[in-house]
Amino acid sequence: MEIKTKSEGSTLTISVSGRVDTVTAPELEAGLKFGDAKCVVLDIAEVPYMSSAGLRLLLTSHKAMLAKGGEFKIVNVQPSVSEVLSITGFADILNIA
Amino acid sequence: MTFATSKFRAFLPAATFAMAAEFLMGLSDSVICGHVLGETGLSAVNLMQGVFEIVTFVGMMVTVGSCVHFSTELGALHVRRAHGYFTLGFFASIAFGLAFAAALAVLRHPVLTAFGASKEVTELASAYWVWFLPAAMLEPLAFFLGTLAYADGDARLSLFSYCVQLVGNCLVSVPLTIYFGAAGCAVGTGIGSFLAIVVLLFHFCRRGCMLGFSRHFSVLPDLLRIFRTSLGDASKNVGKAALIFALNAYVIAHFGSEMLPVLAVVVMTIGISEVFDGVANAAQPLASVYIGERNSFLTKRVMRAALRMALGEGAAAMLVLLAYPNLILMMAGVSDPTVVPAALFAVRVASIALPGLALVLLFNSYYVFIGRETLATLLTLAAVLVVPAALFPAMGSAWGARGVWAALGLAPLVSLAVFAVYEMVRWGFRIFPFLLQGGRDAALRVFDLELDPASICLASAGVEKHLLQKGIDAARASKAALLVEEALMVVRDRNGGRRTLAEVTVDLNDGLTLVLRDDGEIFDITDADASVSSLRSYLVSNLMTAIPNRRNLTTTGFNRNVFKL
Repeated sequence: MEIKTKSEGSTLTISVSGRVDTVTAPELEAGLKFGDAKCVVLDIAEVPYMSSAGLRLLLTSHKAMLAKGGEFKIVNVQPSVSEVLSITGFADILNIA
Repeated sequence: MTFATSKFRAFLPAATFAMAAEFLMGLSDSVICGHVLGETGLSAVNLMQGVFEIVTFVGMMVTVGSCVHFSTELGALHVRRAHGYFTLGFFASIAFGLAFAAALAVLRHPVLTAFGASKEVTELASAYWVWFLPAAMLEPLAFFLGTLAYADGDARLSLFSYCVQLVGNCLVSVPLTIYFGAAGCAVGTGIGSFLAIVVLLFHFCRRGCMLGFSRHFSVLPDLLRIFRTSLGDASKNVGKAALIFALNAYVIAHFGSEMLPVLAVVVMTIGISEVFDGVANAAQPLASVYIGERNSFLTKRVMRAALRMALGEGAAAMLVLLAYPNLILMMAGVSDPTVVPAALFAVRVASIALPGLALVLLFNSYYVFIGRETLATLLTLAAVLVVPAALFPAMGSAWGARGVWAALGLAPLVSLAVFAVYEMVRWGFRIFPFLLQGGRDAALRVFDLELDPASICLASAGVEKHLLQKGIDAARASKAALLVEEALMVVRDRNGGRRTLAEVTVDLNDGLTLVLRDDGEIFDITDADASVSSLRSYLVSNLMTAIPNRRNLTTTGFNRNVFKL
């Protein structure tokens, strides 16, 4: 798994590539450090697969940003991951662009 | 170690011990009569060996076919049909037991007279025969219940029932034989069978018991199907019975009744091969389910493991008896100095048959599993009846009694060689010896794993990669991978720290079918209404709603979940 971060003002963009599963999720968790960012954009264009371990991270990140009055956006969701989000109802909870 | 081979090995001790117990049960009356009543008693019970074989044959005619069809129907997820076969087999084994006991009652005098043995031996055999009738009546039902409970994954109870039958038989038979002679011994055998039936009824209280009664059967067509399947396997007993009758008659006619103890030890030596049937029995539950799933790849995997084991057992038994032939003499109670040298030679020579017989028995059962009953019957009848019956008179004429024993030692090897050539010529070397067309293998992929996060994710990624390579669209491939990871992680969580093995089969032969099997705690993962205790179980529950074509079925005591994606 590869994680790249880019900060522009108060917006932090995190680009992830690779499968997010039970084994790789802790690696992603370690990379999801938001600092003082007001808006976090998670680009998962290169994530073809995400299991519940990844969903849990999306949910906790979303809640953490909401708690501090910020925003957590997920962009470039692949159809296979989008289906998982739909099946679980997370598509209605998370901010997916 | 793969799931299939691990389960085969897990079944093996119980299956082998069960067969050893069955062999010892058959032997126990010879041993008890031999020790309590002397060599006359041994000879008398040996005259009954043919009857024992027919009792086993009667039991097998119902049991083997019922068991194979029960497992295969479960493999194909046809539960009510599986119950139908169980129901039919259950009542047929009772009816056959009664009918056989009635037939034995009528046949006693003509059969014993036909042997032409000495008056003393015939009188003992006659007394034994009369009191053996209850055992002949009960044994088919005991055998049926023991085999079906075993095929349903309850190897321990099946094994325990054999032990109860054996120990019960011995404990009762010894005092009864001392007081009532051969008749008492036969009564003990019947009591042993009754105790085994009582024990086996407890299987119905077991969680996950798949044995059940249903009216989903047609008496005549299904009974004929059962018989046809059973005939292949049961043919070995009828073949052995016929051979033993022929040997008894030949030996008495050419060498006199004094040679009967030597024949008895030879029959015991060859009888050891019954234990090797444990290998086929260990393979049967899994192999039949895989055959029901039309999974040729895993069927061959189980049978390869069985083949190695059968050869090993046969060779080990042969080597032990070549080195220590007196073990058999001790068991039989043969100690007459005029008989011992001939008996030692006979045991050594007859033991050469054991590796060949192990293979014959395994392939006999296997050909029955895959529906080639005729081939199974021909192979077995050749090895246990036709070839030895052709060889022993010829070799007996040339080298006397020693020639007879040597003929019995060589017969299985000769038969195997003939059939190997026939099968290679008829079906080709490529699919020899399993005779399964490899066409389905290309669309089958199996992942074996011990459940830990790393191996589960590896299997999940492997499933996805395999499906993409086979041209399945990314959404379905991803869904299959997700199902594998989430479902197996739930299984792992459910089993705590316990070592759990699993097997994932991806079958692209008829659409995309995913089979998940594990040996953990029995539960239904396909239940969309199951309680949700974590995000993972919530996702699994939602996945189940999204996959309408899914099925959970406890099979041979393991979880099996089938999904059509």
